[in-house]
Amino acid sequence: MEVFLQTLVAGILKGGLYGLIGIGMTLIMGVMGIINLAHGQLMMVGMYITFVCFHYLGIDPYFALLVSMPALFLLGVAIQKYTLNPLIEVESILPENQVLMTVGIGMVLTEVARFIFSSDYKSVQTSYSSSSFFIGEISFSLALTIAFFIAVAFTLFMFWFLLRTDLGRSIRATAQDKDAALLMGVNAQRITILTFGIGSALVAAAGTLLMPIYYLFPDIGGPFTRKAFVITILGGLGSTVGAIFGGLTLGLAEAFGATYIGMAFDDMIGLVIFILVLIFLPSGFKRITKV
Amino acid sequence: MMRKLRKITFILFLVGILGVFLASGALAEGIKVGIILPLTGKLAKFGEIEKKSFDLAFEEINAAGGVNGKRIDPIIEDTTGKPDVGRSAIEKLIARDKVVMVGGGYSSSVTWATIAVAQQRKVPFLVNTGSADKITEQGWEYIFRLNPPVSEYPKGFASFLQNVATDVKTVAILHENTLFGQSGSKKFKKQCEKSLGLDVIMKEGYEAGAVDFKPLLVKVKSKKPDLVYMVSYIMDAAMLIRQSKELNLNPKLFVGGAAGFTLPEFQKSTGAAGEYIFSATLWTPSVPYPGAKRYFDKFVARYGTPTEYHGAEAYAAAYVIADALKRAKSLTPRAVRDALAETDMMTVFGPVKFISYGKKTQQNRLPTFLVQWLNGKLETVWPKEVSTAKYVYPFPKWNER
Amino acid sequence: MKRFAPFLLLVILILFPLLVRDDYHQHLMILVLMWVVIGAGWNVIAGYTGQVSFGDAAFFGTGAYTAGLFATKLSISPWWAMAAGGVAAMAVAFPFGWICFRLRGAYFALATLALNEVMRHIATIWEDLTGGMVGILIIQTFVSKVPYYYIALALAVAAVIGVQAVMGSKWGYYFVSIREDQDAAESLGIDTHLYKMISLNIAAFLTGMAGSLYMNYMGFIDPEVVFSLHDISIMAILVGIVGGVGTVYGPVVGAFIMVAVHEFFRTGFFGFFKGLAALTGSQAITTLAKYVMQAHVLGFGILVVVVILVLPNGIVGDWKKITGWLPLGGGRRSAA
Repeated sequence: MEVFLQTLVAGILKGGLYGLIGIGMTLIMGVMGIINLAHGQLMMVGMYITFVCFHYLGIDPYFALLVSMPALFLLGVAIQKYTLNPLIEVESILPENQVLMTVGIGMVLTEVARFIFSSDYKSVQTSYSSSSFFIGEISFSLALTIAFFIAVAFTLFMFWFLLRTDLGRSIRATAQDKDAALLMGVNAQRITILTFGIGSALVAAAGTLLMPIYYLFPDIGGPFTRKAFVITILGGLGSTVGAIFGGLTLGLAEAFGATYIGMAFDDMIGLVIFILVLIFLPSGFKRITKV
Repeated sequence: MMRKLRKITFILFLVGILGVFLASGALAEGIKVGIILPLTGKLAKFGEIEKKSFDLAFEEINAAGGVNGKRIDPIIEDTTGKPDVGRSAIEKLIARDKVVMVGGGYSSSVTWATIAVAQQRKVPFLVNTGSADKITEQGWEYIFRLNPPVSEYPKGFASFLQNVATDVKTVAILHENTLFGQSGSKKFKKQCEKSLGLDVIMKEGYEAGAVDFKPLLVKVKSKKPDLVYMVSYIMDAAMLIRQSKELNLNPKLFVGGAAGFTLPEFQKSTGAAGEYIFSATLWTPSVPYPGAKRYFDKFVARYGTPTEYHGAEAYAAAYVIADALKRAKSLTPRAVRDALAETDMMTVFGPVKFISYGKKTQQNRLPTFLVQWLNGKLETVWPKEVSTAKYVYPFPKWNER
Repeated sequence: MKRFAPFLLLVILILFPLLVRDDYHQHLMILVLMWVVIGAGWNVIAGYTGQVSFGDAAFFGTGAYTAGLFATKLSISPWWAMAAGGVAAMAVAFPFGWICFRLRGAYFALATLALNEVMRHIATIWEDLTGGMVGILIIQTFVSKVPYYYIALALAVAAVIGVQAVMGSKWGYYFVSIREDQDAAESLGIDTHLYKMISLNIAAFLTGMAGSLYMNYMGFIDPEVVFSLHDISIMAILVGIVGGVGTVYGPVVGAFIMVAVHEFFRTGFFGFFKGLAALTGSQAITTLAKYVMQAHVLGFGILVVVVILVLPNGIVGDWKKITGWLPLGGGRRSAA
């Protein structure tokens, strides 16, 4: 029983963070209809910013959110404006040029990070990094629990933002039907730029929250990019609530898989679920949740 | 007119580049030794430490008069950690630079791809890091290995189990799914069951880089093993220990199978949680070999970062290379090979002598050590004759510290 | 000129080992030829049929492992596995296609990427069959590079001619029509699923053969090497897009450029910087050389970004654009 409960807790806490990673991706994919294969790499940049803040400026990771998020917002805006949007006008045989471009951007980000910080492993050791509290026999990692609640707060905020603000409504409109949105007077170009910025800022937040319990090196982006698209497909494109469900599902699946099948299958479980969902539930949980 | 001018500048530019290429060919006059290392890519971190150690050693050797008055000119090539690129590198070293011998290699896959070329071209290759057992099991006469193969890493620890931790009965083995983890854990499991009479109640691999090891550790906790043996790289090692603390997992012994548990980053990222953790190891600055500590201090003074066993392997390899070149009757690959085969010397990494035993040929045989983190310092605790501190056993429970 | 260029190239390639006797350059050329085969395969499914695959390594690895297992488990010469590797890769391609062809565009790309990773995990975890990360090790048949060179050349020539033949046939038209407008193709009565499957199988066969060649030539494989997303799948895409998507000679140009650029950066512009540093004796240039050599992947990344932005159809596809920029030539030549 203890094993079961502990696995459940581990899965949910991790799932909260995954959700945050997924929301950024789902917005980008929903609005622009492209996959951002540099998503994990953007998170990596956010993590390095957190590291620099902590290590050189002595800023606690939770306050570093105030630095990493705006910084990544600007980076995302720049990427969309100067590399992805111009591609819409370029004539080429393959429509996937934007996706390939994000691969190139991911490589550039990784290598620039390696250039500046070398391949060394970096970590942020706060006083609470390996502390935990117990409820009964079940252990809760302090940092992960805090991260979970901040992630949930961000998610709720995004939910409110998308539903209740004009900008949020424009983003949703663009995601649903770009042409119709254009007719309604939405500046689609501006919306895609803003969305990429917001998506980047959100994944930066996830990276920053992960920093106290995880570690960092330039190649860390790849696996998280993969997780991000698994979450997004699970949740359904452009669906915030879906991303949370997707994140939790992936977190729980990984945790239970690791406990009851084997830790070696950790990554594979996510990928297999991903393929199954693609085949049997192509629009993800969006089909069930309708949001 | 403009067009013509542009054409001329373009041609001049090409000629200029060509000139520099020709100039670059006419360099270097010492004894050329090729070193192949991963200097970019995922393995760059350790490749860089080895490169710095090679540089340090060759500078010392050259400053002390080189080899019979001649300088050694190491030509260091980057393999990027990929076998096909490693092969490009060694082909270039042999065909274009005409080196008398090659060293380095690093990862087993690159090492394998490159030693095959060295053997075919009859150029001696001194392996100093690649740890796959097969490397010296081919009977190849041009291939020498300085470091012990992965299957021998836990030797020192086994004697600790037999002599001190005799109440250990059950074992859980966790390992990363890499060459190092898979083969190291398999050999250790066999050793536990066959010669140590221990019960392996769990053996599980994981993909390096996991965010959360708790599901795995919870399983370990529920099985209550006496010994948890882990073959992991630095950051996974740190995560495993930190999360064991969070879960209050208390076996009698936590032992790392070399690699990650002895590196400075491990201590940095576990903090107090790293205390009392044991690890099997090949080398630490406190090993009883002459110059080991001096090498460590020199490295830190020169580069400002600590070094570890990969660096010591490289540093020792450089001295073995210089020694063989000194003794070689002529500076041909064949003569250098013969000189290498007769190597018998002391290095910072231990005594070096290439012998044949079991299936292996031209393999250096070294003892391994057991170390423990005590007061934030890595102390050698076993074998007793060479220990720098008394071991702490059993492991003090997390919640009772 | 245009008509004879391929023959001229072929003659040069056949004479190459006789003219350049140094192993280093022969090795690089073998790699180039291997990438020509992989690039040609990728070009069929992605360039002509429009299904951008991120999973080429799944086929490459299958081919390589087939050859490796032939040698270690069955004690059959791994050369027999050249054909078998291609067939095994096709066997993987069927479920692969069955899963992925339900999806379009970016989703297809993601699914192939995921399957690529699944294959790598299987090869890692299934230690009894594959040896896990310990990998498979065989002793190469030949000491000299020349036999490998000609085998690779034969394979590359067969791949390019084969692809050209296929594209000139009925199948080729179907492939392109699927790329241009899948729905229209379907409404014209083309069984798009079938032809996508055929296209994928051609790609898989070629890539699998290249994988077997890799095993034979390199003598060592492990899952991270042959199922690598970055070093195989994405490299295949880069060969394709840099050379020119949907062109017969695109993969040839792409393979040559990618291998050359890689080696160029790795050796610090073939020793250019070292020479410059030695000539001027300047410490700054030595440091610069070090950074340049470290930045070879960065160079790759920037190359990709620039090529997509400036030459979206690759070097062969946008050849006119390039000749327009160069001071020599002046845009008279057209695409090869």
